[in-house]
Amino acid sequence: MTHFLVFTDTLSEGYIILVTGLIIVFSGLLLLTVFFKYGLPIMLYVYKIITKGRDKKVKEISPRVNKEFTGEIAAAISVAIHMYLDERHDKENAILTIKQARKLYSPWSSKIYGVYNNRF
Amino acid sequence: MKKVILIFLVLSLLIFIRPVLGFNSNISDTITPTSLNITDTISEGGFVSEAINGIKQFYHYTGFANAESGNIIMILIGIIFIYLGIKFDYEPLLLIPIGVGVIIGNIPFVAGNQTGIYETGSVLNYLYFGVVKGIYPPLIFLGIGAMTDFSSLIANPKLMLLGAAAQIGVFATFLGALYLGFSLPEAGAIGIIGGADGPTAIFLSSKLANGINILADGTTVKNLIGPIAIAAYSYMALVPVIQPPIMKLLTSKKERLIRMKPPRAVTQKEKMIFPVVALLFTTFISPSSLPLLGMLFFGNLLKESGRTERLADTARTKLIDIVTILLGVTVGASTQADVFITKDSMMIFGLGAISFVIATAGGLLFAKFMNLFLKGDNKLNPLIGAAGVSAVPDSARVVHAEGLKADPHNYLLMHAMAPNVAGVIGSAIAAGIILSFLG
Repeated sequence: MTHFLVFTDTLSEGYIILVTGLIIVFSGLLLLTVFFKYGLPIMLYVYKIITKGRDKKVKEISPRVNKEFTGEIAAAISVAIHMYLDERHDKENAILTIKQARKLYSPWSSKIYGVYNNRF
Repeated sequence: MKKVILIFLVLSLLIFIRPVLGFNSNISDTITPTSLNITDTISEGGFVSEAINGIKQFYHYTGFANAESGNIIMILIGIIFIYLGIKFDYEPLLLIPIGVGVIIGNIPFVAGNQTGIYETGSVLNYLYFGVVKGIYPPLIFLGIGAMTDFSSLIANPKLMLLGAAAQIGVFATFLGALYLGFSLPEAGAIGIIGGADGPTAIFLSSKLANGINILADGTTVKNLIGPIAIAAYSYMALVPVIQPPIMKLLTSKKERLIRMKPPRAVTQKEKMIFPVVALLFTTFISPSSLPLLGMLFFGNLLKESGRTERLADTARTKLIDIVTILLGVTVGASTQADVFITKDSMMIFGLGAISFVIATAGGLLFAKFMNLFLKGDNKLNPLIGAAGVSAVPDSARVVHAEGLKADPHNYLLMHAMAPNVAGVIGSAIAAGIILSFLG
């Protein structure tokens, strides 16, 4: 086989990979899309039926119960909680003071303990 | 800029002082002295000449004697990376470790003392092992999974297709690399730069273009991990520069003003089901991407289950930080000039830039295409298509900023996060497909 032939082979294989690859990526994510669009609500519905009995209406159980409460509101609330719990830097006291924390005299720094070698 | 020039001047002064001192004359003679030679000269020469000889010998082991122009260029590039990271805040968590790594990897040294990253037994070589064997990328994905909130994607599943559309950059680059004469595995590894996902790029190149595998025609593949990783990370850092012009070019002012309705709230149950189902679907379709997607969704389940907060917390903070440090430094250090500065690297950089452009354009155009079928307030703002090139979360931020430029009250960040995380899944699937074809 000549080098030229190898080269064209590579390219044609490249095209095959290009097309199949794109199709697989698309179909994979399409499958996920379809599942989360239709499959998941049905699954949740079935789950509700199993656990809560059949007396619930479909509308009540669908994940879109509350149209008013959108993801944006959820994000705003979670940001507020996050800021409150973790990011409260601005409430720190800006005034720095140096307090005399330790005692001036302590047995650890005392010279006299060094003198008493016979203590133990 | 002034500082860079100053550093450059100092470095060039140190290099050019070498011929002035006359140390260049007979490197090859003295660079391989045996112990016998040394004892001979000790008995012959005087003290002063001995000292000078010793200094000369020491000098031949220093970086100044062994420096080549390639090393200097790469060190400058490393400094530029650090500068970009600090000054412009372009992904500093990546650019600064990589920049330092580039400097570390290009300090000139005498080969054979277990110093360099490519010498077996050196410490850097051991750390680099995690890159060569593709250990670090799945660990990074674990952390990313524990950080990522998929709720905007669950709320609007059709945005997942935008993440798929942007993968056209991967396959287009793959084809471009084939045209430029790279072999199939090498082209596959180069193509994944278009996925705009550093860990995925490293994972795939460590499997395909690692310099170990043997090709069908008997030759060994080139080791392209360094150039591919550097290209992927530097273009990811440059997303705020690359994407806006393409966005402006491909969308009209009217389209940029489209307001999308806020995503619905997502229940915890859905969030818990998502990682399990997505893991099953994606890995059944493309089992080769199991290390990446398995860890990604595992991390996400740790986060969403609500019972493993400790594990999720470790995965998204300490663990990913440790791995990022090791990965950044070793990938940077793998750019040792004699391995890195080649024609191939230049071509990879060119292809990488093109792949980002194609991926962005693919996402934007596919969003416009989807708009043909959508009505009313379901219409998409085509800008979010650009976020389909993973590069989490930078490209989503860029989309948000561009949206704000068109309309100061149009907040696209939440919407853009959906194609953004879908892009991560998409590029991992694409990597798995390429791996299963060529691995």
